[in-house]
Amino acid sequence: MALIELNEVSKVYGFGDASTLALDEATLTIEKGEFVAIMGPSGSGKSTLMNVIGLLDRPSHGKFSLDGRNVAKLRPNQSAKVRRDTIGFIFQSFNLLPRLSVLENVALPLAYRGVSLSKRLKQASNMLERVGIQNREYFLPSQLSGGQAQCAAIARALVNNPKLIIADEPTGNLDSAASRLVMELLAEIHKTGNTILFVTHNPELTRYATRVVYMHDGCIIHDEKTALGQVAATARKVLYTLSTTTEDDDLAGVSALMMALPNKPTVRPARKPTKRRTAKPTVRRKSKTAKAAK
Amino acid sequence: MRSLTRGHVKAGFDSVRGAKWRNFWTMLGIIIGVASVITIVSIGEGVKQQISQQINHVGKNVITVRPGTIRTNSTQSKSDFSVLSGLSITGSLRDTDVKTVADNKTISASAPLAAVSTDVKGDHATFNNTFVIGTSPDLPELINQKLAYGVFLSVDDEGMNAAVLGTTIASQLFDTDVPLGHSFKIHGEEFVVRGIFDDFGSTPLSDDANYNNSIFIPYDVAQRITKNTAVVYEILAKTESASAVSPTLSSLQKSIKKNHGDQNDFSVLRAEQSLAARSNVLSLLTNLISGVAAISLLVGGIGIMNVMLVSVAERMHEIGIRKAIGATNRQIMSQFMIESSLLSLSGGVIGVIVALIFDGLMRFFTNLRPVISWQVVLLAFGVSLAVGIIFGTIPALKAARKDPIEALRSQL
Ligand SMILES: Nc1ncnc2c1ncn2[C@@H]1O[C@H](COP(=O)(O)OP(=O)(O)OP(=O)(O)O)[C@@H](O)[C@H]1O
Ligand SMILES: [Mg+2]
Repeated sequence: MALIELNEVSKVYGFGDASTLALDEATLTIEKGEFVAIMGPSGSGKSTLMNVIGLLDRPSHGKFSLDGRNVAKLRPNQSAKVRRDTIGFIFQSFNLLPRLSVLENVALPLAYRGVSLSKRLKQASNMLERVGIQNREYFLPSQLSGGQAQCAAIARALVNNPKLIIADEPTGNLDSAASRLVMELLAEIHKTGNTILFVTHNPELTRYATRVVYMHDGCIIHDEKTALGQVAATARKVLYTLSTTTEDDDLAGVSALMMALPNKPTVRPARKPTKRRTAKPTVRRKSKTAKAAK
Repeated sequence: MRSLTRGHVKAGFDSVRGAKWRNFWTMLGIIIGVASVITIVSIGEGVKQQISQQINHVGKNVITVRPGTIRTNSTQSKSDFSVLSGLSITGSLRDTDVKTVADNKTISASAPLAAVSTDVKGDHATFNNTFVIGTSPDLPELINQKLAYGVFLSVDDEGMNAAVLGTTIASQLFDTDVPLGHSFKIHGEEFVVRGIFDDFGSTPLSDDANYNNSIFIPYDVAQRITKNTAVVYEILAKTESASAVSPTLSSLQKSIKKNHGDQNDFSVLRAEQSLAARSNVLSLLTNLISGVAAISLLVGGIGIMNVMLVSVAERMHEIGIRKAIGATNRQIMSQFMIESSLLSLSGGVIGVIVALIFDGLMRFFTNLRPVISWQVVLLAFGVSLAVGIIFGTIPALKAARKDPIEALRSQL
């Protein structure tokens, strides 16, 4: 039985002339244990797809079952419980609660489950150890670096032992080193049997995925399986053919990432040597443009 | 679930602390409401206790005759004030009434209280705001008051220029500590001091306190020096036994009415009634202040609702995050309900503290002895909690029903 089964799922925002078809009859099946990258241009409906799968949003039409249960028409409270028990969210902007300590943030999903205080703090602490920032337990989120904050967010997503982890551009606000850290962490989690869905604009990150889904204008236009450690074929094509500023920046970001990954057996695309020099500044510019676009 | 509530309580405290001043102004309505409720209830309680002490002190079989009708109904405020001042009189008592009371067979002791408006000349100064009261030898027994020095006026003093003084006026009139046998002048006539009263314990809303500043002279002397214009503002009488009070009341009522040409322009009261009349003033005051308290609680509640609405709007993003990680609508709702309850409960606590301070000030500066009981404190907490719950519902519902995606999208 597949973990996620979407059947002609549509999502319409607004109505009348102002309506937007954010998801256009998307059909998608994801098995347990897959590590799926979702790619596509801005506005293609990736986040909408993630929100529908994550039960944050209800589809306008279509069938959707999660873990064998029909969840297309759940009431808010029921979907909250499904989110709590089976889904872990990782966001681009970390979304830690600023007034709670890192430990309390990580323990929060357990609180909504009714776990006792001492138990949940212990579990949260273990989880922080697993993501490697146990020494930051009592820091406030504002006192963490972006990479550390995302690690804390991953710990929070994992603490309820969810079947499915949904990450919408988890590396969008991070530099290449932190991106690598986060992706490595996700890869490790994947190894323990979790199903992970993540959205990215960075073709290089498809190396971590076992499968890549491409979206355009709300439709799933391409779906391919890929070997771990290899950039997906279509993604690579995108890398060369569409040489827009954004893609350029992506490339620069990847080159920085690859520099930080000297021992990884990777299939690298040939790059112009000039890219290497401009790596750092372009990375920064990329993150700025990404924020501005939000 | 309990530990989650604890987390909400902690988070609530954090956010109450986080916006101190805004929250203080929000709580002000609650603070004023709670403080005034506690203060007025404690004053009422204090007065009630003092009155019952007084009844026990004076005795249950004391009958009071007063001019004017007194309706012991709290809505009749006019007569309450005339009772309070004691001297602003609508009807009047006459010499014959004094005799009627004294001659009643079941009455064992009686004393008129007749006010003489005149000036008094002591060793050094002349006083023109002193109370000179014409009365009879039975007075100390009737008001259960002892003398500090000397003796009270006796039957033999009738027609004599003898006087007994309150402590305050005694020290003002003379240089010596115990001016027994000294003389002073009332209305130009020489009077000799026979005795000095003990201090009259002061009680709220009564004119007993004035007795420390009063000079007591024989009733007939008072009528003589004023040429029968001394105003009898009260006649006190005592029956032999408590069981005789009721029949005596009705017989007095009948005979005085005859004296007054069938007019009911006087009242014959038992001890409880004459003292309770005073508390009518208080209940009027209580109603007034309760109104103020209710309004400030309402305003406070609306203030809390406003601040919570702002808080919910400010924290939409947080609500989105909490919902994304699995908070149900009810959990979000209870989080904000706990917060608003804490807010108003803190207001209640501060209100109680303010009331305690008021209490201290009143004890220090007035003769009121307010009694703050734990019940009224509990009531105050209950009321402020209820305000928090009632006015926190709308903001909490708004937070709970927010669509998670919309909430997540809203930026700080
Ligand atoms: N709440 C909304 N109301 C109206 N339209 C919306 C809403 N949310 C999304 N859309 C529209 O749906 C489409 C898909 O949006 P979505 O956020 O899923 O894109 P995306 O692929 O995640 O883009 P990006 O890569 O920039 O994050 C867009 O055209 C967007 O304008
Ligand atoms: Mg998106």
